[in-house]
Amino acid sequence: MMPIQLKAEATVTLGSLAKGTEDHIKALVDMGVVPVLIAGLGSDEVKLIEACLRCLRTIFEFSCAPVGLICQDENLPLRLLSLIPHSVSNQVCVATILAAGCKTAENQNLLCRQEAVPALAALLCSPHYKVQMPSLRCLANMCFQNQKVSAIVATSSFGGKSVPDLLVGLMARDKPSEMQMGAARCITYMHRAGAVSAEDPKILYRTLPCLVRLCKKDRPCEERVTAAETLAYLTEVDTELQRLASISNHLVPTLAELLHYQPEPSHTQAVQLTPSQTAQRLEQEVKTAQDMKQAAFRAFASLGANDEDIRKKIIETDNLMDHIVSGLQDPSQRVRLAAVRCLHSLSRSVQQLRTTFQDHSVWRPLMQLLQGASDDILTVASSTLCNLLLEFSPSKEPILESGAVDLLCGLTRRQDPALRLNGIWALMNMAFQAEQKIKSQILHALGTDQIFRLLSDPEVGVLMKTLGLLRNLLSTKPHIDHIMGLHGNQIMQ
Amino acid sequence: MSYTEKHENISKEDWMNRLEGLHIQRADMNKLIMNYLVTEGFKEAAEKFQQESGISPSMELDSLDDRIRIRDAIQSGRIQEATALVNQLHPELLDNDRYLYFHLQQLHLIELIRNGEIEEALHFAQEQLSEAGESDPTVLNELERTLALLAFEEPKKCPFKDLLHPTHRQKVASELNAAILKMENRESTTPKLSNLLKLILWAQDELDKKKIKYPKMSKLANAVIDSPK
Repeated sequence: MMPIQLKAEATVTLGSLAKGTEDHIKALVDMGVVPVLIAGLGSDEVKLIEACLRCLRTIFEFSCAPVGLICQDENLPLRLLSLIPHSVSNQVCVATILAAGCKTAENQNLLCRQEAVPALAALLCSPHYKVQMPSLRCLANMCFQNQKVSAIVATSSFGGKSVPDLLVGLMARDKPSEMQMGAARCITYMHRAGAVSAEDPKILYRTLPCLVRLCKKDRPCEERVTAAETLAYLTEVDTELQRLASISNHLVPTLAELLHYQPEPSHTQAVQLTPSQTAQRLEQEVKTAQDMKQAAFRAFASLGANDEDIRKKIIETDNLMDHIVSGLQDPSQRVRLAAVRCLHSLSRSVQQLRTTFQDHSVWRPLMQLLQGASDDILTVASSTLCNLLLEFSPSKEPILESGAVDLLCGLTRRQDPALRLNGIWALMNMAFQAEQKIKSQILHALGTDQIFRLLSDPEVGVLMKTLGLLRNLLSTKPHIDHIMGLHGNQIMQ
Repeated sequence: MSYTEKHENISKEDWMNRLEGLHIQRADMNKLIMNYLVTEGFKEAAEKFQQESGISPSMELDSLDDRIRIRDAIQSGRIQEATALVNQLHPELLDNDRYLYFHLQQLHLIELIRNGEIEEALHFAQEQLSEAGESDPTVLNELERTLALLAFEEPKKCPFKDLLHPTHRQKVASELNAAILKMENRESTTPKLSNLLKLILWAQDELDKKKIKYPKMSKLANAVIDSPK
């Protein structure tokens, strides 16, 4: 056998090995197979190139694969793009490989410079589903949070149609739902990166309704999760989009359904499972339930971010507040974070605070969450607490009982300026029109030394809120007398 | 619509008259036939039919050669040869479709049993097939049925004799053929004619479910329509 044929056969065998389990892939990667395959792409022999591409494509579908190698050598993407015209198999492989390699802004810019966009636009128009799908993924990865690339993609075209128009075509209801999802994601990323406006009919009348549809109960779980997450991202900042989404096709109850997810009971299984398969299935079900809760909370957080009426609608949804309360206590950290972010959005409704949050005893789980929480949860949770303390009704007892004052004072000593701000702001709100004993508790826990430290804080916001706290503490004469009586010496200094 | 209460039973004559009244284009029929010949790999017939009818085939007739060789190998019981051919033609096909690969191996096992090579059969089953049954209960089931053939003195008369029947070879050959067509990104992986026949079966099934009496086509092979019972 000629050497090149031998090489091709060996590559085919490697490709076969790569079709095994993740452990096989790890073993192949550890042996350094990827650089060898990449080198094989430089050959002239068609069969060898095809075999290398297929093997690389299989390997790069796994997270343990060294995807960084794809864009490391600038010539590689160029070579890959040149292989596209040769066969459908090449197209599938190249699109998949480039999608896997597009992780950072540098990657995105590199691929864009090397004219990947026109090539991918052409692949979107392929008659083959298996070519279109990775091309959609690659374009989406290229556009994500990249203003420059998104602008270029928005103005690219193929066959007389612009890419945004092509994407809208792929969102049509007769297309497979994964394709609709891929196209909607792509155009959502382009919008958030500033290349497609929020008023564009493609967003309002195509993308938004498509995503809402894919959240429905009859869709598969994974699809509902991705659709809700994408919807959350799409509506995150624009109030008009939030308004339109909240009245679209019963979106609010549909999202609430995600929180009610129950896995199918095992007696409907047609086939008997082994114990390890059962364990795997249960693990998967737990993850799915967590994914769905996270997605729903994120979507609600976005929808309720700016508009009072939307917040009211969300809060009044059956059992929603109960779900949020359980979410705050969920064993999974990412669910807790999503739940508290959702609560944060909703806590901006001053009128709702007075009634609904009281009824649902959000306080205790929130306070529990704050104890020993990670920093990202702490920031959002303390911000939420800040808002909740703003309401005017008297019952701050539960908060005080759960050690809020000490916790907030602790926050004012943290390095992170956001945490210090939230801490002092919350104390300021707590002190507003509060009873003497609350004010004393605050002052006692914080201490005059800390107050003075905060008055020289490098963050202007922190300083302002400290002044606000002082103003609230000293708002009535009897209180002033009392406080001065206790701490007069230090203050005068 | 209270259709079901109102309608009278339709006679076979009426039914046949209605059918006669429908007009099917000759060109459409020819296309269906060409599609069947090309999909199933009847190369010479397709060439002749092209000459006689003027319909051009939907794919290059030379591309049929590989599929013809593979199907021939399976129909003659040379399964391992067929497997090698597929691997050469489309290296990833059997890796991606483990179930199909199992069916090919199962067929090879059956051939060994059919030829009375019991020792080789057992050896092959132990070496190659025992793992396949571990992860998938359906596969295990089929494997057990196949091995059960060894337990009978006259396998051709046992409860699992369908495995030894030539139609089983054809089934696997068609399965493989369809997989190859799919890999080649062809428009249809099964002949469109078979879809049409399935539609007839489905429509009749729907009518049966609603307990409607009508002249039923009982045998598809010769399109015989019976009087309504």
